[in-house]
Amino acid sequence: MTTFTRKTVLAALVLVGGVACTDVAVEPRSTVSSSNIFNEPGSYRAFIAKIYGGLQTTGSAGPTGNSDIRTNDEGFSHYVRLVWQMQELPTDEAGIAWNDDGVQQLNTQLWTSSNPFLTSMYFRVFFQVTLANEFLRETSDARLAQRRVTGALATEIQRFRAEARYLRALSYWHGLDLFGDIPLVTEANELGRTPPQQASREEVFAYVVSELIAIRSALPPAGTGGTGRADQGAVAMLLAKLYLNAEVYTGTARYTEARTEAERVIAGAYSIDPNFRRIFSADNHTSPEIIFSVPQDGLRTQSFGGTTFLTHAAVGGSMNAADFGLDGGWFGLRLKPQILALYPGGGGPASPDRRSAFFFFPGQTTTMANITDFSSGIPAPKYTNVTSTGTPGASLQFADTDYPMFRLADAFLMYAETVTRGAGGSRATALGYINTLRQRAYGNTSGNITDAQLTTNFILDERARELLWEGHRRTDLVRYNRFTTAGLWAWKGNVLAGRVTESFRNLYPLPAAELAANPNLTQNTGY
Amino acid sequence: MRFAAVFTVLATLSLGTPALAQSGRITGVVTASDGSGPVAGVQIVVSGARIGTITRDDGRYTLFVNPGTYTVKALRVGFAPDSATGVVVGENATVTANLALRVIAAQLGGIVAVGYGSTNERDRTNSAAVVQEKDFNTGRVVSVEQLITAKVPGVQIIDSNEPGGGISLRIRGASSVNASNEPLFVVDGQPITVGGGTSAGRNPLNFLNPADIASITVLKDGSAASIYGSRGANGVVLITTKQGTQQRQITYGTTYSSSSVTRGPSLLNSTEFAAAVAQFAPENVGLLGGANTDFRDLVERRAAGVDHNLAVSGGRDDMRYRLSLNYLDQDGVILGTTAQRIAGTLNYSDRLLNERLEFRANIRGSRSQDFFTPGGVIGSATAFAPTQPVRNADGTFFQFTNNLAPNNPLADLAQLSDQGVTFRSLSNVEAKYSIPRISGLSATVRSGFDYAQASRTFFSPSTSQVDRETGRGGQFARNQPSSLNTSIEAFGSYVRRIESLKSNLEVTAGSSFEEFTNDSPSFVADSLFTDLLGNGGLPAAGMPRNFFNVQEARLAAQFGRVNYTYNDRYLFTGSIRRDCSSRFGPANECGFFPAASAAWRVIDESFLKNLNTPLSDLKLRYSFGVSGNQPSGNGLFRSDFTVGDDRSQTQFGNDFVPTIRPSAVDPNLKWEETTSNNFGLEYGLYNNRITGTVEYYTKKTDDLIFEVPVAGGTNLSNFVTTNIGKVENSGIEFAVSARVLDGRDNGFTWDAQVNASNNRNRLTEINAASAGQRIPVGGISGDIGSNIQVLQVGSPINSFNVFRSRRGADGQPVTGDLPDSALFVDQNGDGNINQDDRVAFNNAAPRWIIGHTSNVGFRQFDLSLTVRAYLGNYVYNNVASNQGNFQRLRGPAPINLDRSVLRTGFVRPQLFSDIYVEDASFVRLDNLTLGYTRRKFVGVQSLRVFGTVQNLFTSTDYTGIDPTAGVNGIDNNIFPQARTFTVGFNVGF
Repeated sequence: MTTFTRKTVLAALVLVGGVACTDVAVEPRSTVSSSNIFNEPGSYRAFIAKIYGGLQTTGSAGPTGNSDIRTNDEGFSHYVRLVWQMQELPTDEAGIAWNDDGVQQLNTQLWTSSNPFLTSMYFRVFFQVTLANEFLRETSDARLAQRRVTGALATEIQRFRAEARYLRALSYWHGLDLFGDIPLVTEANELGRTPPQQASREEVFAYVVSELIAIRSALPPAGTGGTGRADQGAVAMLLAKLYLNAEVYTGTARYTEARTEAERVIAGAYSIDPNFRRIFSADNHTSPEIIFSVPQDGLRTQSFGGTTFLTHAAVGGSMNAADFGLDGGWFGLRLKPQILALYPGGGGPASPDRRSAFFFFPGQTTTMANITDFSSGIPAPKYTNVTSTGTPGASLQFADTDYPMFRLADAFLMYAETVTRGAGGSRATALGYINTLRQRAYGNTSGNITDAQLTTNFILDERARELLWEGHRRTDLVRYNRFTTAGLWAWKGNVLAGRVTESFRNLYPLPAAELAANPNLTQNTGY
Repeated sequence: MRFAAVFTVLATLSLGTPALAQSGRITGVVTASDGSGPVAGVQIVVSGARIGTITRDDGRYTLFVNPGTYTVKALRVGFAPDSATGVVVGENATVTANLALRVIAAQLGGIVAVGYGSTNERDRTNSAAVVQEKDFNTGRVVSVEQLITAKVPGVQIIDSNEPGGGISLRIRGASSVNASNEPLFVVDGQPITVGGGTSAGRNPLNFLNPADIASITVLKDGSAASIYGSRGANGVVLITTKQGTQQRQITYGTTYSSSSVTRGPSLLNSTEFAAAVAQFAPENVGLLGGANTDFRDLVERRAAGVDHNLAVSGGRDDMRYRLSLNYLDQDGVILGTTAQRIAGTLNYSDRLLNERLEFRANIRGSRSQDFFTPGGVIGSATAFAPTQPVRNADGTFFQFTNNLAPNNPLADLAQLSDQGVTFRSLSNVEAKYSIPRISGLSATVRSGFDYAQASRTFFSPSTSQVDRETGRGGQFARNQPSSLNTSIEAFGSYVRRIESLKSNLEVTAGSSFEEFTNDSPSFVADSLFTDLLGNGGLPAAGMPRNFFNVQEARLAAQFGRVNYTYNDRYLFTGSIRRDCSSRFGPANECGFFPAASAAWRVIDESFLKNLNTPLSDLKLRYSFGVSGNQPSGNGLFRSDFTVGDDRSQTQFGNDFVPTIRPSAVDPNLKWEETTSNNFGLEYGLYNNRITGTVEYYTKKTDDLIFEVPVAGGTNLSNFVTTNIGKVENSGIEFAVSARVLDGRDNGFTWDAQVNASNNRNRLTEINAASAGQRIPVGGISGDIGSNIQVLQVGSPINSFNVFRSRRGADGQPVTGDLPDSALFVDQNGDGNINQDDRVAFNNAAPRWIIGHTSNVGFRQFDLSLTVRAYLGNYVYNNVASNQGNFQRLRGPAPINLDRSVLRTGFVRPQLFSDIYVEDASFVRLDNLTLGYTRRKFVGVQSLRVFGTVQNLFTSTDYTGIDPTAGVNGIDNNIFPQARTFTVGFNVGF
């Protein structure tokens, strides 16, 4: 070979060698890998904030754009919005005008296992559960020791862990209440492809109760947790709700424990808000009555769920959206007519019970002849994006109003109910609690009831009046056995007069998508 | 592993140890004896030296031999062979041996580009189709894929109707669910990014000037495409641009066009609308107004377009160059839409170092500017009440007060702006070195880059309707992505003629490495301090938000291929490629993609030659190949944390905390693999006056990269991208070309081509454990969160998912204001009509695609037409379903209705009724061109003047805007079809 050709061959080989690089691994630059995220101490707080955020927003970009779960619509998949719709729309309290795929089935109780709303709800519950499990794995003693986490941060992380367990318990409660027998997945189950086994409703109940009792002391005293954060008040409230419905969940009534937990709540640093409307207004974070809320903020915590949904959807017709601090109404939610009968005079501005003062009659019909027409039925814009002093929220599109998931009045009502159900306690105290609420409602003592009127059935009606549209109604009706086989209201069973439905509809079906993905599951009876 | 490629090339280089010291050279040109010019692709065989080569595009060849005396033979199908005897080559001498071939049959094709090389049409063993420049569509062609619409069987080109609009090609159906279904585009050997690339414009292929394209080759089967391994699963489109010519040529061409909308939705007129409101929404009579406005008409226009092309090419000795410039300015038929382009290309090639080094460079640069009709204008124009005026008496735009009402489309057009500028350069250099002393051995190195920088700017003043409604205070948003993809490839090839076996052997092996970097800064500013600067500047804003994102990916490959031709009629090809991608975890990053094919040239068998048949060509072939597909996103195998933005913060006590979220992944994500089989038959009759192909294929895709629901509690979200499920495609393709009339120089000639293809697509498995799984897809307008399509086992991908209408006594679907139970079939008999009664029903992919092209010539006139037909494609008419019910007149503002409501009488929306899934089969006269050509007069080489009409007519039963409606078959206020008249001329000096 001549020198020249040798050189050219060599040059060619060098070039080819350059190409031969087969190292294709690339480290991500705009996302953070799990291996180094906790090098930054603030990550623990950002992570627990995400688990709370699972209730507040629908994803990692507000209002939409980077959804936590994949559903037919991100805005629809808001945790609170779903819980609220599943708890209210099938009852006598609310109906919605829209035709979005599956939403009318919530109005009529005639849902199927492929309903997109109940599917989204199920996966929201398990998104919260797996997120909390992952947090607990990442903050195990071994991991923290490995990362040499000590001092104030280590102490703070112990509180975060208790909060993660609280949020997991809260979602498991929603899961067992709505769906019955569901898988029980904890931090002991590693992520992977293996579908979990189904647990019985009793097992999930027992687990949630044990978790709540276990974390109680790791959380701040009732009423001191700060806005939107779990404390001992939130724990006691959730335990009270579990015990109150224990007969439905497990077959065994636990009213005494329910009363004890309600007492714990009442003993906390809470008081009845003298201004009823403030509890549902843009400045409700200042209300002393709220025990656990899902905070919303028009600029920083945006979504199409929560109170953004609750404020907008109840506005329409001839209502002036600006009066509610809104850019416009969504022409959706109204009362089913049967609920009006619970208020003296049929409710409304003229009723002495001012808890119905905001019911809107002009241009609306009280009967709900056409459920998909907003003018059919009375809107009840309970939630509003103006403050108690009349200032609109920071954004007209997204509400500033926090969603009051648990508030003191509910604890009063639970206490009274357990007393009427023979769980001990004091009837006088119970009567006092009820009349406290009624005095706020009437502005004076004219609405007070007597001891004779304080019955279990009265409490159900009073819960409807006090806690209207606060996401409790379905659970209450199921507990009183009036949700399916008893109780008639508009569009139940898809007829205007209402008709009874089969008892299996006390539970929602497990979603078809979940049954397809998890062969270990057995569908709820009847579906 | 790192040195695998080095080894490959070393092995290639040492294939034939240089025992011979070749120091002489034989060179020459092969021309056709009828004077039609040089012939490319001719096999040159030197008897006695056991070496050979193939002539290049210009008919030239060069062979290196030892000193001696030789006989040089030239062989090409369709020609009688020629030979030169007694060629004496001395030490270090160059001897010229020119050869001339006599035409004995109409030529069957020419050189076919394949990955990393080219082959003879004659020797091709797999399924590929070439469209040469002369067969391209003409008229207003903004992007290159439009050149071959209706020309290639098995290829569906989906046009978005927008000038330069988005690209979508389906080669033999969709094989993937969540990974891409688009083919790989390769421009002059360089693979380019189309989907997800950096562009502020519409179609990422817009940077190419259609006038620069010499040919487009579509590699359809797995064997042809598998040399591109990972990205060949959806087929490969090879685009070859024009190269320089030996003689200097200057060509200039220009076209002018005018386009207008062919059809729009059928809406109520103002009288009908007012009557309907009075009857069905009396509470809204006050919102009617008394005008008579056709908002659709007001947002449409007669669109003008102009196009200039200038090219200069020439050469000296072995050097060739071609320089071209292009200017395009094309308006859309909707106000606000314009595509502009300036593009320049330089192609340069030369042979250096004693012609051993063949050097080639392509340098391209373009600037595209796209103006977009603001989002929502088309929908608003369709929905806006026709009884309202455009402007109020005081000159301001009329708007409804409620924010759920549609916005006045003319106000949006006047106030909002949305435009993008994209600079792109795709350039590469290639050096091919013929190794001395080993005849037939060469090494090629090819390196290229694809750089794009774009900016897209959106502006909305604080006075716009959307800003007034939301209180946003105006918005200025700008996204400025830039991307750089670099590639380097090296491969060696060895070509050898084994005369004693009448065999050709060709071995190619090499490696490639590509790197993709994309960084995307963007900002969105709300609460503008002033509206006065429009989109020209942003002095200050109350709420600016900045974002930045970097994406990187790499792809490395090694490949090898062997072609062996035995006895000149038994042809074999085998190839293998190994691909490694950064989009998979370390354990799964590499995949192997083998392929093999064989062909039998039956026509060359003596038993057939001895029979007296009209057959002039007959070839049978079979191919098998595996190709891969990777996910369209990076890092899907790795659990990362996503940092939440400022609007999804969590309120945490008194603080707002930005969140972090772990992602749900399958760390074992791996390559999706498509296995394909192809049977082909090629024939020629009457001296190839009639030629044709018949193909049958199957494609089975396993381990689909599929985003599927996972069991609650098992992962960090409810859907995870994993490998699950199977898809099958199978089909037949026919193509026939015939010279129907051959009137020689002074008579009529008529060439006709017909192609037809059928594809059957089926999702055969999602999750083996649950056969009944149904995954809803295909979002539609009408209600939030509604999906009209479904993925389910046993049905084609994205089948429509609807209620089946009951049939009345007349056999027609029952319609009217009736309960669902009277309208629809209760499929499961549970007494209720709900989601469980929706069934898969037809899909958007055509069962048959038929194309016909005729070229008629008479003296200096030419007439060509292209007809396209789809049979069995279905479109969901979302305008009719959304606006075809009287309930839309109620609520915050009455919106105009689709005329179908007069027929159906629907009061409630019936989005999921099968009546909206319409048979959109059609026949369209895509292109009709009349031209006149004059050659060689007053210094002009040739002059051609022509006129073209595109989309002259469409015949269909479909009632919506366009029966080709998008890749998913959902017709929801899509950009309307236009009929375009173009005149132009090309002149060459």
